[in-house]
Amino acid sequence: MKSKIGIIIGREFNERVRKKSFIITTLLTPLLMIALMVAPALIMSYSGGETKQIAVVDESGIVAPKLQSNEELQFQTLDIPLDAVRKLPADAYFAILHIGSDILSNPTAARLYTNSPGGISTETNICSQIESIIEAEKLKMYNIENLPQILAQIETKIALQSFKNDSDSTDDKQADQASSSIVATVIAYVLSFMLYMFLIIYGAMVMQSVIEEKNNRVLEVMVSSVRPFQMMLGKILGVASVAVVQILIWLVIIFVAGYFLVPSLLPDDITAALVMMQQGAEAGSVAPDADIDLLQALLTLTDVGYLMKICATLLLFMVGGFLLYAAMFAAAGSAVDNAQDAQQLQLPITLPIILSLIIMVTVINDPTSPIAFWCSMFPLTSPIVMMARIPYDIPAWEIIVSLLLLYATFAVTVWGAAKIYRVGILMHGKKPSFKELWRWMRYK
Amino acid sequence: MDILQIENVSKSFANHKALDDVSLTIPQGSIYGFLGPNGAGKTTLLRIINRITAPDSGRVLFDGHPITADDIYSIGYMPEERGLYKKMKVGEQAIFFARLKGLTHSEATKRLKEWFDKFQISDWWNRSVDELSKGMAQKVQFITTILHSPKLLIFDEPFSGFDPINANLLKSEILELRDKGATIIFSTHNMSSVEEICDHITLINKSRNILSGNVKEIRHRHGANTFELDYRGDEATLLGAIGNRCEIMESNPSLTGYSSIKIHIADDAQLRSVISAANESVNLRSFRELIPSMNDIFIRAVNGTL
Repeated sequence: MKSKIGIIIGREFNERVRKKSFIITTLLTPLLMIALMVAPALIMSYSGGETKQIAVVDESGIVAPKLQSNEELQFQTLDIPLDAVRKLPADAYFAILHIGSDILSNPTAARLYTNSPGGISTETNICSQIESIIEAEKLKMYNIENLPQILAQIETKIALQSFKNDSDSTDDKQADQASSSIVATVIAYVLSFMLYMFLIIYGAMVMQSVIEEKNNRVLEVMVSSVRPFQMMLGKILGVASVAVVQILIWLVIIFVAGYFLVPSLLPDDITAALVMMQQGAEAGSVAPDADIDLLQALLTLTDVGYLMKICATLLLFMVGGFLLYAAMFAAAGSAVDNAQDAQQLQLPITLPIILSLIIMVTVINDPTSPIAFWCSMFPLTSPIVMMARIPYDIPAWEIIVSLLLLYATFAVTVWGAAKIYRVGILMHGKKPSFKELWRWMRYK
Repeated sequence: MDILQIENVSKSFANHKALDDVSLTIPQGSIYGFLGPNGAGKTTLLRIINRITAPDSGRVLFDGHPITADDIYSIGYMPEERGLYKKMKVGEQAIFFARLKGLTHSEATKRLKEWFDKFQISDWWNRSVDELSKGMAQKVQFITTILHSPKLLIFDEPFSGFDPINANLLKSEILELRDKGATIIFSTHNMSSVEEICDHITLINKSRNILSGNVKEIRHRHGANTFELDYRGDEATLLGAIGNRCEIMESNPSLTGYSSIKIHIADDAQLRSVISAANESVNLRSFRELIPSMNDIFIRAVNGTL
């Protein structure tokens, strides 16, 4: 019996893995993801090269001397009236900034005349500069002594470092260091979306292929040598192994790319600080100037144990969730003759998947809320919801109980699905109602 | 020795009874036909023999023991609707089905090469199934059905969709398999093929076995003692000689000299006296019993007028 399932798994696996579409999507998806992450940064760094000339006509005399030019914007104060400046050739300046004489009392007295469409970053930059100049001017009116020194002294930037309150490991600083919650949120989003896509795409693939085999009448030939249960399980496991192989290829690509690319992209001082932090140093002590959030995020992303835990649980939940849903998709596929008829049966199956994605958003806000807990235990929602919780370091027993429930439910579901499948694959014609499906399950 | 015994098998689906207390036995080495109108329950019976579905009551004995899961290695089944994976290569697909029937990869490849040579289709090996015509696909399907040399072969409507040349090829292959010791069951509507190759038949109508037995025996049993005589000579002389010994059904005198006459005889004793009287009066060329075709028997049985 084992070997027959093996033969079927082999066929399902080979047929899919050898397809051009599989090879293309497997190799292109990570490239696409990397491109999506890298492209904005590249575009920013190239487009930032051009400096924009801004002519400033300041009737108040307060703003213009304090505007600071930078790589992006170059301010040039002109002492001629606005009307004259506006008559200058269009390519002389990128834009003309006009500050009214009543700027201190009238926040709308600043105007920007652009010769070509201006970007949002230009406007934000100018806006924030004017704001701080006016704020400083207003502060000055209170006649406080040593104001610039006071302002410089009170400027503060808080970097909240989170630690896990774990009394067992007070000696070990490394163990206390909780994961960066920014990274956890990103990972939670990515993982649960990935799982969602996998359940929907690969689940539908199982259903589609059952319908196709039923229409081809291949199933009739098969059932004379294999039990329907073996056929169904073989198909589900075959497709599951395709999904696992695809995920593994992606993980390998991501890790290899991350291992070689990330260090070369980072500035040297950050890399050095990172190495010290990995050895247990406090973030604040190694690099007081560096962005502590960034350091913490990098620390989490380079924590091999953390990543291994996430990858291992990802595979377990993905396979378990897929098996559970694929069994239901296979039963639905066996009951109908074509994809149109399948839609009605498909809806109740995809509903919990979509629901889990909606719940996932609230789970990310509060990974320990009761709804997060119970939905990560309920087998139909647990794969996606639990995947959104795991990056936040939840207790191991919750993961284990959730996995046990998931796989136990799969065992029961596959048994019931096989009963429908066994009858369904030989039935042609009328689409069965849910009542009939229930009766099929009780046939001898 | 009977290879298959079906004892009081019944099977119901949601709103109809597909098989109602059907019993029959299939002798080893025979070619056995399942006849019956559409929807009579033939396919359900074939599926029960193949263990695709289980009967509600009754049992199936294979080689004298209740049929088990391992017995399917000794059975080859070709369903009415041929099914092959369209995108798969022919050779690979045939190996796949052979392995499901318990052959190893190398053994399956070896046997398949032989059969592909025999059917002269070796160059199809690496083509995908959707490039093949329906008839070509059926040849492949036939090979995958018989490849594991099963003791019992089951064909559901084997001749449908074959052109006459390939149907003949199939027929001779079936006879050859029988000569090598296999038992063959097939279900069909094609009555001429039943007369040609079946030893035994069972006629199923409305879920019940209404007629079972040896083809020759059945046809003679339902022959109704009708005979046809071909002769040369005078019609009136003949009628005078045999007219009081039998019932004349139809007389076709001919001016060219070869005439024929159809008669009905009450019993075997009369038969001899009719023959000798006819022999005395005219030049008898032939004398034969008019046995009904399976087609007639089928229609009469289904209409309840047998």
